[in-house]
Amino acid sequence: MLVYLIRRLFNVAATLLVVSVVTFGIFFAVPKLTGSDPALMYAGRETNPTALAGIRVKMGFDKPISEQYWMFLKGVFAGRDYDAGTEVTHCAAPCFGYSFKSEAPVWETMLDRMPVTLSLALGAAVIWVIAGVATGVVSALKRRTAIDRTVMIGALAGVSLPIFFTGMVAPAIFVYGLGWLDVSNYKPLTEDPLAWLNSLILPWVTLAFLFAATYARITRATMLEVLGEDYIRTARAKGLKEGVVIRKHALRSTLTPVVTMFGLDLGGLLGGAVLTETTFNFQGLGTAAVAAISQGDLPVIMGVTMLAALFVVLANLIVDLLYAVIDPRVRLT
Amino acid sequence: MIRRKQALAITAVIAALSLTAACGGDDTKKAGGDKGDKGYSGAATGVVNASDAKGGELKLWSPQDVDFLDPARAYYGFVWNMQRLFIRQLYAYDSKPGAAGTKLVPDLADGEPVLSNDGKTYTVKIKDGVKFEDGTPITSKDFKYGVERVFAQDVLAGGPTYLIDQLDQGQKYQGPYKDTDPDKMGLKSVQTPDDHTVVFNLASANSDFKYLLAMSSSSPVPAGKDTGATYTNKPVSTGPYKVESFASGKGATFVRNENWDPKTDTIRKGLPDKITFTVTTNPDDMDQRLLSGDIDLAVDGTGVQQAAKNKILKDANLKKNADNPFTGYIRYFAFPQTVAPFDNVECRKAVIYAADPKSLQNARGGPTSGDLGANMLPPGVPGADKSYDPWNLTAGKPQEDKAKAALKACGKPDGFETTIAVRNNKAPEVKSAESLQASLAKVGIKATIDQYDGKLSSSTIGSPDNVKKKNYGIIVMGWGADYNSGAGFLQPLVDGSFIAQTGNNNYTMLDDPEVNGLFDKAAAAATPDAAAPFYTDINKKIMEKALYLPINFDKALVYHNPRLTNVYFNDSMGKIDLAVVGVAK
Amino acid sequence: MSVADVPAKAIEGRSPGRIAWMRLKRDKVALTGGVVVIFLILVAVFAPQIVSLLGHPPNEFHEDLIDPDLGTPIGSFGGVSSDFLLGVEPTNGRDVFSRILYGARISLIVAFLAAFVSVVIGSLLGALAGFLGGWVDGVISRLMDLLLAFPQLLFTIALVSVVPNSLMGLEGSSVRMAVLILVIGFFGWPYIGRIVRGQTMSLREREYVEAARSLGAGRGYILIKELLPNLVAPILVYSTLIIPTNILTEAALSFLGAGVKPPTASWGKMLSDAIPIYQDDPMYMVVPGITIFITVLAFNLFGDGLRDALDPKGS
Repeated sequence: MLVYLIRRLFNVAATLLVVSVVTFGIFFAVPKLTGSDPALMYAGRETNPTALAGIRVKMGFDKPISEQYWMFLKGVFAGRDYDAGTEVTHCAAPCFGYSFKSEAPVWETMLDRMPVTLSLALGAAVIWVIAGVATGVVSALKRRTAIDRTVMIGALAGVSLPIFFTGMVAPAIFVYGLGWLDVSNYKPLTEDPLAWLNSLILPWVTLAFLFAATYARITRATMLEVLGEDYIRTARAKGLKEGVVIRKHALRSTLTPVVTMFGLDLGGLLGGAVLTETTFNFQGLGTAAVAAISQGDLPVIMGVTMLAALFVVLANLIVDLLYAVIDPRVRLT
Repeated sequence: MIRRKQALAITAVIAALSLTAACGGDDTKKAGGDKGDKGYSGAATGVVNASDAKGGELKLWSPQDVDFLDPARAYYGFVWNMQRLFIRQLYAYDSKPGAAGTKLVPDLADGEPVLSNDGKTYTVKIKDGVKFEDGTPITSKDFKYGVERVFAQDVLAGGPTYLIDQLDQGQKYQGPYKDTDPDKMGLKSVQTPDDHTVVFNLASANSDFKYLLAMSSSSPVPAGKDTGATYTNKPVSTGPYKVESFASGKGATFVRNENWDPKTDTIRKGLPDKITFTVTTNPDDMDQRLLSGDIDLAVDGTGVQQAAKNKILKDANLKKNADNPFTGYIRYFAFPQTVAPFDNVECRKAVIYAADPKSLQNARGGPTSGDLGANMLPPGVPGADKSYDPWNLTAGKPQEDKAKAALKACGKPDGFETTIAVRNNKAPEVKSAESLQASLAKVGIKATIDQYDGKLSSSTIGSPDNVKKKNYGIIVMGWGADYNSGAGFLQPLVDGSFIAQTGNNNYTMLDDPEVNGLFDKAAAAATPDAAAPFYTDINKKIMEKALYLPINFDKALVYHNPRLTNVYFNDSMGKIDLAVVGVAK
Repeated sequence: MSVADVPAKAIEGRSPGRIAWMRLKRDKVALTGGVVVIFLILVAVFAPQIVSLLGHPPNEFHEDLIDPDLGTPIGSFGGVSSDFLLGVEPTNGRDVFSRILYGARISLIVAFLAAFVSVVIGSLLGALAGFLGGWVDGVISRLMDLLLAFPQLLFTIALVSVVPNSLMGLEGSSVRMAVLILVIGFFGWPYIGRIVRGQTMSLREREYVEAARSLGAGRGYILIKELLPNLVAPILVYSTLIIPTNILTEAALSFLGAGVKPPTASWGKMLSDAIPIYQDDPMYMVVPGITIFITVLAFNLFGDGLRDALDPKGS
């Protein structure tokens, strides 16, 4: 178990390292190849040579890419000083870079944005897992009934709807049309829990609808497969109650693929629910990254990409560990 | 991203005229100090809800973040307006509606500057009793230090650099951080004979210099409190409010500065107890709050979004709290002469004639987005003539016959191919480009739209080499002056000596001895009024050369909370003047 | 299914393809999806002809149909009329019907070609990994994990923002399309790769492969002659299912401003254009939204049906 964990953690580190090299290469090297000067992105309106030179020195753009990357990597663990010759800006570890657009370390921006994305993703996740698995199970048990058909058509519609469309339709109906909810603009949980809830209901439901549809489909398919397995038949033959068979035996195996998917999906969302955040105008990690891209704020792009990758990789690891709990057949070696 | 200060004067007369046109003359009250409800565009001509009542919290919102609060680095017009709350300069635009608001009055200075040495030396006395937020008196050295900081472009980039152009005079001063002088007072052209006197020595006379002294970048900064690049997070206040907190991308809180003495300040009223500034990513939500009275003002001044605009225009109750002032911007297409066939005046004319001015106006948002523009000097700048229309653009119709004739004269009777360069982050500009593209297609000119990265405009359209390489025959742009003079507006656009290798604004690459000479004559003129005819001339010269296709003189539909007091648009910036706004009745 | 039919037909030997086809024919829902898919493809192919009959050129302005103050179409339902079947675009009055049709071309071209890219890379690397095993499998599997950990959407937007306007002889929208196809295709291959790898691994141990091997067949021969034909079915199913995903991704990227450039019409761009005005002109939001929905749904229905039909365990 311990050996397994160490090996997996090593894998996580290796994956992140590769992601960081690739991301860094693309965002810092490609502009160089296409001949655009990254310093220009920071200079704003005044592109006088002094300002540009100052930015280059401070950001390290004057150094070779490999050294710039090394400085980035070192910064993550040891912090980093941005030295303009006359004036030093310190960025404490974990330094994912320093945004000279906002004169703040990227890590601070990310910490600031994280609660928004966490609230959005976790809340929606709870809804979609419960709703998705429940409808999937019901659908499988009532196979080929009207309920099954309706649920499955609804689920298929759900996976076919783009979130940036439902994200517009939902407020159009519930906010502007029926007036049941206010315009949602994220409020921190610590400030006003009710306002927090109110601001999140619509995004949660919209986001969860999309995922719940997928989960319902997967759950139904797996459940049907599992119900045909021999050990279920054995369990039934033993005279166990149908409810017990479903809950104790069938559901457990059904959950394995669901958990895998859940890990990937949640991990992906935690790194920034780009479309949902954009549609609902939430200031989360995703919108931070999109804004950073449009402003050419390389350190922020880099930071969010790394964080997103970290979430996915960690989520995968946790999922694999969870397997052992859910499915007794799985041994971690 | 070019965001210029909208320091353009619009005379009360013009504003009143446009107002009558926009609302069918339902506002018959005269501009002035009378109280109460003035109706649509009332604040564009006079003061709405005059009051001296103190108290309350003024809630400012903006969909755009501030660039910097640091006076040396701020360049956004709305930030300059916000800085009126907490930073003072020697001179400032008067807090009055109409043309009076474009006049500079002494702020921290004790009276007008004394000019000597053939207008090359400006000697300014500093008022008694003016203090920083910590209570230390403001001295001449603080002004000099503030000016010196602008020279430290390696650390404090972002703001205007006019002061370097005027005051470096070959010294190659590197700013206070690299200053070898122990007191960091190494800039030679600015002297501080005593604590109450600051002397600026110019290389040549420049009647616009007072405008430069009124910019944020000329604000005093105490050397002991300077934190370099991070000064933007906590600039030291000299005005009625001080920065309590500031977070980039989120907002700021301003509270009363106890060391501000209203007796020393004729410009600011300092009415609200507290001012909050909130950055939002959701402009529609902001508009919603604004219309419901939740917040007071969208301080960016670019006007409400389309959804709210339509709501306001359809509802008389909302409309009476809205204004449609000129913003001081002009929107236009420029034709670089270095890109064939735009080296030929007839081909340039063909594009101008083929364009559909009404359609271009619609692309920008219809009549509330601006008046059809016919020349390059917007109303309000001394020497402007709004009715000057050499290409008959205000008729609002494409002139296809004339366009075809011009094409023939250009030797391209079947049209030609060209590229329209447009910033990808400005939707109305992209729509304008699409409109021009559609109009040009009708006369056989095939234009491709190239959306370049808006944040890199200084190295894309601002680089003459790149313009040539990319074959940018048509460039979509907007322009507002940094300060209210013909030179401030037109010189960067058309003076040959302003052509630069990056950050160029003279897109048409005009280097005409006659035009350049006219600028020199205007600069030598004794007063702005005496200089005005030269700018009229320059405007005519460049329009006759068919170098530009003006789209409109920009306007915005701005809504304000009816509870606001002392509301009016300061013509020096085309925005509601924050210096006097209050929230208590 | 009537009992009487069973004995008569049970005797015939039926090829798997035939069985699948018969199953598919019985699946009314999947067939409907298939019909819609074919209809959409035809519409996209013949967009210019249809538009010249029923619409107006996609980039032609009709500003007389727009209220200049409000920027919204005159008349109800976004200016729907017999002349403009789906109304007109706000601000400039372009024909929404013809822009939807031309948008279909972009959407389908990107989705199909990206799926093709995914299938080519995915089946090749997946088959290699599954067939060769060992370190090759290790490397390819790691690569797939890595790609799945990448924030694809962010990455693509960022990449698009640094790609120059003209590249290798392509210009403007074609560059964007090429980039979209390559990037969407590239991020999609691990999904195909995993399936193919798994299938190959299980096929590799089958008796007939063993037989071929014992007869002295080379690795290449086994891979191409014995394994590939059996991989066709799963590859076909998953490429049908990856197309709707690609359509959604393309729309999402266009929505976020990383799609084709104006004036080229695209569904995602229409939706993002609709945001500022949808309270006043909901039609302009509803039309592209419903179009995307129907298209993706049709592909999903058809793909689902195809999978069920090709599933050997299915009844």
